[in-house]
Amino acid sequence: MAGPLAPTRTPETTVEERGDLDRPWVTIVWNDPVNLMTYVTYVLQELFGYDEPTATTLMLQVHHEGRAIVSSGPRERMEHDTSRLHAYGLWASYQRDS
Amino acid sequence: MKPFRRRGDEVVARLEPAEAGIVGLLLDQLEQLLAADTADVGGDPVVERLLPDGHRSDPDLAADYREMTEAALRAGKADDLATVRATLPPDGGTLRLDPDQAAAWLRTSNDLRLALGTRLDVQEDTEPPEDLSSEEGQQMAVYYWLTALQGSLVDALVAGRAGRR
Repeated sequence: MAGPLAPTRTPETTVEERGDLDRPWVTIVWNDPVNLMTYVTYVLQELFGYDEPTATTLMLQVHHEGRAIVSSGPRERMEHDTSRLHAYGLWASYQRDS
Repeated sequence: MKPFRRRGDEVVARLEPAEAGIVGLLLDQLEQLLAADTADVGGDPVVERLLPDGHRSDPDLAADYREMTEAALRAGKADDLATVRATLPPDGGTLRLDPDQAAAWLRTSNDLRLALGTRLDVQEDTEPPEDLSSEEGQQMAVYYWLTALQGSLVDALVAGRAGRR
């Protein structure tokens, strides 16, 4: 993706980027007492294209375990996913995978 | 209320005059809250729930996230709210929504439930109110009414998706 103006990579940034790849970022949906279970399942299908059984499994994980990872990848994409979930009122955040 | 049903590409419901009036009032309150200066409503649990932190443990990342996304999030909620207001029959009656309008109703009705539910400290084991004479009982009744309305909208949209397959 680097264009002609991209800065030359130093060995340090390469190592850091490899570290990021090893530990990607994740978007988490947290349980909350207001959002309907059917709504959460519907939103996960709409936003991430999950089929109904996958979305239902994730919704139930949120409900029973208090949280579920709904996507993973580079930080910028997790920020974007979090903001899309916030637009639907789901209680979401992103963090480095632990 | 007649709950949402699917009719072709549209979803249709029917609101009583009093119900339409309550939705109108709740929209006004939500609009004020979303338009308020963060300095004036900072620490308000409803605002914190509608515009939450993006990162839970790193204040710098949370501030970055807010700077990047909050304006668009507020604008999106304001657009949805305007669509709901424009399609709400002010004196009650039939509510007929195309897919984009239905999506706006879905998100805004959820925001209204989040706002009311947070104010009323609704928990998973909260029961529908028995005493409707108190103000809290009445607000709780509105919350459960919104839950029924939004639940029927989700079901109607899910039915439409199944029909597209």
